[in-house]
Amino acid sequence: MRILTLAAICGMLATPAAFADTTLDLVGPISDYKLYVSDKTDDLVGATEEFVAAVKGGDVEKAKELFAPTRQHYEAIEPIAELFSDLDVSIDSRADDYEQAEADPAFPGFHRIEYGLWEQNSTEGLEPVADKLLADVKELQGRIEGLTFPPEVVVGGAAALMDEVAATKISGEEDRYSHTDLWDFRANFDGARKIVELVRPLVTDEAFLTKVDGNFATIDTTLDKYKEGDGYVTYDKLTEDDRVALSAAVNALAEDLSTLRAQLGLG
Amino acid sequence: MTDRPTRRHVLTGAAALAGIVPGLAMAQQAQNVAAAPVEGTEDRGQIISPYGAHQAGITTPRPAHGMVASFHVIAADPAALEDLFRRLTDRIVFLTHGGPVPELDPKLPPADSGILGPVLRPDASTITVGLGNSLFEGRDWLAGLKPATLSRMTKFRNDALVADICHGDLAIQFCANSQDTVVHALRDIVKSLPDRLVLRWAQVGNVPVIPPRPDGQVESARNLLGFRDGSANPDSGDVPLMDRIVWADAGEPTWASGGSYMAVRIIRNLVERWDRTPLSEQEAIFGRTKASGAPLDRRAGTETDVPDYTADPEGAVLAMDSHIRLANPRTPDSDRNLMLRRPFNYVNGVQKNGQLDQGLLFIAFQSDLERAFIAVQHRLDGEPLEEYIKPVGGGYFYALPGFSEGGDYLGRTLIEAI
Repeated sequence: MRILTLAAICGMLATPAAFADTTLDLVGPISDYKLYVSDKTDDLVGATEEFVAAVKGGDVEKAKELFAPTRQHYEAIEPIAELFSDLDVSIDSRADDYEQAEADPAFPGFHRIEYGLWEQNSTEGLEPVADKLLADVKELQGRIEGLTFPPEVVVGGAAALMDEVAATKISGEEDRYSHTDLWDFRANFDGARKIVELVRPLVTDEAFLTKVDGNFATIDTTLDKYKEGDGYVTYDKLTEDDRVALSAAVNALAEDLSTLRAQLGLG
Repeated sequence: MTDRPTRRHVLTGAAALAGIVPGLAMAQQAQNVAAAPVEGTEDRGQIISPYGAHQAGITTPRPAHGMVASFHVIAADPAALEDLFRRLTDRIVFLTHGGPVPELDPKLPPADSGILGPVLRPDASTITVGLGNSLFEGRDWLAGLKPATLSRMTKFRNDALVADICHGDLAIQFCANSQDTVVHALRDIVKSLPDRLVLRWAQVGNVPVIPPRPDGQVESARNLLGFRDGSANPDSGDVPLMDRIVWADAGEPTWASGGSYMAVRIIRNLVERWDRTPLSEQEAIFGRTKASGAPLDRRAGTETDVPDYTADPEGAVLAMDSHIRLANPRTPDSDRNLMLRRPFNYVNGVQKNGQLDQGLLFIAFQSDLERAFIAVQHRLDGEPLEEYIKPVGGGYFYALPGFSEGGDYLGRTLIEAI
């Protein structure tokens, strides 16, 4: 029997290397990230106020216009927002999470309103949902203000965002009534890239950065084809080839960014 | 070691099969890749060498578990495709040989899923890679290099193809003694090549493992309709025969020499309806007895007995539209339609109507897709068996030529031909 030595057959063999602890160096990037998240959260509250006003005023067209840009502020900060799982459920859960799906009286948040606006072309019955949404994003704002950002959540957030896109968004199931998924993608990618940019000076592996930058560039090029006005065309316009290209870039980023915590010495 | 072109060395770790199954030790015993795996002979340490003029997993014995996974390929230029082939080859070499998985800093995600423990056992695993029509169609720089009869699978009369489980730029057939090994290999490849391969669909399958027979005879495995499947398979140990039936040659681009066309079909079996059908009718539909697999004109015989259609020209005993008669009429002409079948059964749970979602992951290798699978399937159009089966997925792929040890890689000849 022939047994090859592991070194000969396994390109990924790496001797366990101790990564330098960068906790102190991370203080700057983490506080910068907190500023970024705070700004986004303020934008989220402002945008949600307008969106909710349109819904409550019965202005379906205006509410439809505001839906995607409002959500973008939330999508960009998901790694932090998801720390408050009660609010995440209340703000951003989907019909699948409820036994009776769209008909379930417990179905809340952005997607419940999205369902009313696009599927029923009406704001009827959405008033309490809209009020609750605004209350929830304000509550989120308050909680984020008082939060000490855990470094491993911030650094790990880049991979978490890519995981999220790969697992539940690339298929177009997130914004299934409005098909505004490409707006969400953009915000998720921006949120992930922000984290990479902030910690970039602490990353020593140039090959890693080149690969990550390359995949972000692929995403930019691909998404740019679908720009329309300040946003994006509907998800159904995304070609199969471009969906596959995005999927590969997202999965490659999810794999690569999953090593970022270790590269910065975080467990 | 140099592999002879068409007969692969099967390296076994522990006791060779011979002592356990006397039949296998007999010289000149025909080898049928569709033979049922024999209980007690599975060896987790068995290495089936991935090296040779042909890929493993085609004429090598079919183990108990298998899967076909289909992928989109991300490769905008020849360098990207070469990168894919080289990295895939590295993973295949590692996964089929086994060994300790790399230990990384615990702050990192582990290098391996760990589902097989810290040391991989080879488990007779094979990983066979085929290219689909769409890989060639979408890329100008591959123009003129597409295998001669490779095409996009089109609907046959009884098909109800589901787009989500059809076609693909590249397909991988995984086989091993255990399902864990098969699943582990897929996860490894998905994790190792996220920037090059995007998974489209995958279908796992298995075949029943049977106790050894006292006389050492080897039986074909049964499908989920309860019949032996693959009884009439050509002898995979017959090198000139395999050269003619399985390995593509004349008429192919030079790079493709040593490859083979792989037809994959996900064929749902309507098992509830089948199980309510009288035995005599089931047997008439196939043309074989259910218990032994003997052809109906040799009821007392065995599955390897050859039916004599010339003695039954009107189909009095073996109906003219029975499955085996249509599939292989055994005329001088039909000899050119032969293929090597290496299928697995699948069980996918329950359909919306409450009926079982079960069937056959049909896999066949041949030297010419049109002359073999497509011609035979057209002959089968309208057969009585159609009432009980429904092809829903699959695709056609070209299994790449093999690769040798030490720096070579799968698909090298294609890359060099660009």
